[in-house]
Amino acid sequence: MITLKNISIRQGGFELSGVNLTVAAGEYGVLMGRSGCGKTTILEAICGLRAIESGSIRLGDEEVSGLPPAERGVGYVPQDRALFPTMIVREQLAFALVLRKQPQTQIAARVNELAKLLGITHLLDRAPDKLSGGEAQRVALGRALAHRPAVLCLDEPLSALDEELHEEMCCLLEHIHRETGVTILHITHSPSEARRLAGCHFQMENGKVVRDEA
Amino acid sequence: MSDPPKPKYRVASDKPFLIGLGVLAGSYLLIIGAMVFADLVFLNYGDQLILGNERVQQGRYVESAVPIRVEAGRTYHFRLGKNEVGLKHEGQMLAGEGLFKANTDEVQLQPRIPNAPITASLRPEARVIGIALTNHVATLTTDEPHGLLWGQFIRVHGAGAGWDGVHEITDTTTNQLSLALPEATKVATTVELTKPNPLVQALRSRDIQFSIMLSLISCTITTLLSIWVAVPIGYIMSRFDFRGKPLIDTLLDIPIVLPPLVVGLSLLILFRYAPDWLSDSVVYKWPAVILAQFMVACAFAVRTMRVSFDQIPQRYEQVALTLGCNRQQAFWRVIMPQAKGGLLAAATLSWARALGEFGPILVFAGATRQKTEVLPTSAFLELQAGRTEGMLAVSLIMIGAAVIVFLIARTLGMKRIFA
Repeated sequence: MITLKNISIRQGGFELSGVNLTVAAGEYGVLMGRSGCGKTTILEAICGLRAIESGSIRLGDEEVSGLPPAERGVGYVPQDRALFPTMIVREQLAFALVLRKQPQTQIAARVNELAKLLGITHLLDRAPDKLSGGEAQRVALGRALAHRPAVLCLDEPLSALDEELHEEMCCLLEHIHRETGVTILHITHSPSEARRLAGCHFQMENGKVVRDEA
Repeated sequence: MSDPPKPKYRVASDKPFLIGLGVLAGSYLLIIGAMVFADLVFLNYGDQLILGNERVQQGRYVESAVPIRVEAGRTYHFRLGKNEVGLKHEGQMLAGEGLFKANTDEVQLQPRIPNAPITASLRPEARVIGIALTNHVATLTTDEPHGLLWGQFIRVHGAGAGWDGVHEITDTTTNQLSLALPEATKVATTVELTKPNPLVQALRSRDIQFSIMLSLISCTITTLLSIWVAVPIGYIMSRFDFRGKPLIDTLLDIPIVLPPLVVGLSLLILFRYAPDWLSDSVVYKWPAVILAQFMVACAFAVRTMRVSFDQIPQRYEQVALTLGCNRQQAFWRVIMPQAKGGLLAAATLSWARALGEFGPILVFAGATRQKTEVLPTSAFLELQAGRTEGMLAVSLIMIGAAVIVFLIARTLGMKRIFA
């Protein structure tokens, strides 16, 4: 579950205040809004990458607004995917698990499991610059899911993909959601994408988040 | 009514642009290449004869040729000046520069312009006329003043085992020179001497050997220190915003902006305020060499590291943080592997900068042979002593060292990056 209560964020001249948002556990939330309205900022606040001035952020039953990003248990897929250029796909998937000092055999098993879930088993030994857009997106998803986070934050995950891949990735996201039961907050500016995926649907207007029941 | 045919859109040829690029890039490359090539060509690689005193007396041409007494059977070195046509020897006119063997006892210098100063040079070969050996020290007497100095190297040939080879001159008088020959057992009957080329002289000289070693070691230490400091500074300047950042940015540029000589002077003045034990062990000693190189080289390493951190988007760190890193882990696992190219560039740049550093070392560390002499200092000392060829030899050693180190660094770097 993701609960934002009355949070306010300020960065330079840009300001958001009194933002409230709740995504129930295991739900697929889609947050829509125009470019530059602060969607990414909210996502970064949830991940702990941007400090909030006031309010509270709860993930599950835990108040996380004072925790470093590492301890929040979120998976984050930024818009540009940001695959680490010096690591092959296998290392990217194993990254979070290596940090948690899990035994080699467990890491290998989890990497294979993720690769199978995402259909990237044949790509495990590739460098990220040899991946297509869709493949890179899958790897970024796998990297974010590796440590079994309770919450997955997706920043416009489908924006750079062509029509055909778009549909394929939508299916994949639904599949992941079903298989893992993770709570997802997905940012987009495409209404069709929102209709296609959303379990619950939020709209950002004038610096406020409104739950859209339609 | 149909529209008039639209003129087809055309772009101008790319040729002028590409030629322009080529010419500009090529002209610089050409100058670099020509410069190094000129150095290589200028140096005399063969051995040179030992020459005696000048036989052409100073003065002016009065009307006709000037006769000069020579000794039949001896070899002479003649160099034409700007006011002569040539040297008349047995009815033949010698011009330019070169050796000839005299067959008569008089040659004539032919003037080009009457009343002009005499500018040619004629020097006889010096021959060994006396050979002695005591306690493995050979003392050779020449019939002409040899003009050689203590510490120079000389090649002995035609004298037999224990004698032949390149030896250091241990003592000289006008017509005598001594060589230590530990393996010589008996006196040689004939000895011929030549001067080995300046490169051999330089590489054999203990002073230059020391300065090569000191240069290589001090540059490497400087590079390690620079990287050690430049990585954190570059990272801080690239990732953190704080008050006074522009001021710190400017401070970091001071060593780049200041003339290097001033950096040395400033260090010297700074160490006046240091406790005695510290300044006594640094100033005019080898640590001063490293400190002087470091002050300048590090500023370049900082710039390079900062640019390479700036080019790595913060997004990577952010993702690493959400995956479970703290800042330190994100730095070592995600940022540094990507900064490898920049690290290599910073290292080579500061190494090169340190190798060429001269001004601050001269001021802050002095130019003491076998103590604080690095390669640029050697070049300077050679030049001051009037030995252009020696300076050139030192320069070639520097070029060689730099090329070798850069090639090694770049091949290693390429392998690391593309492996």
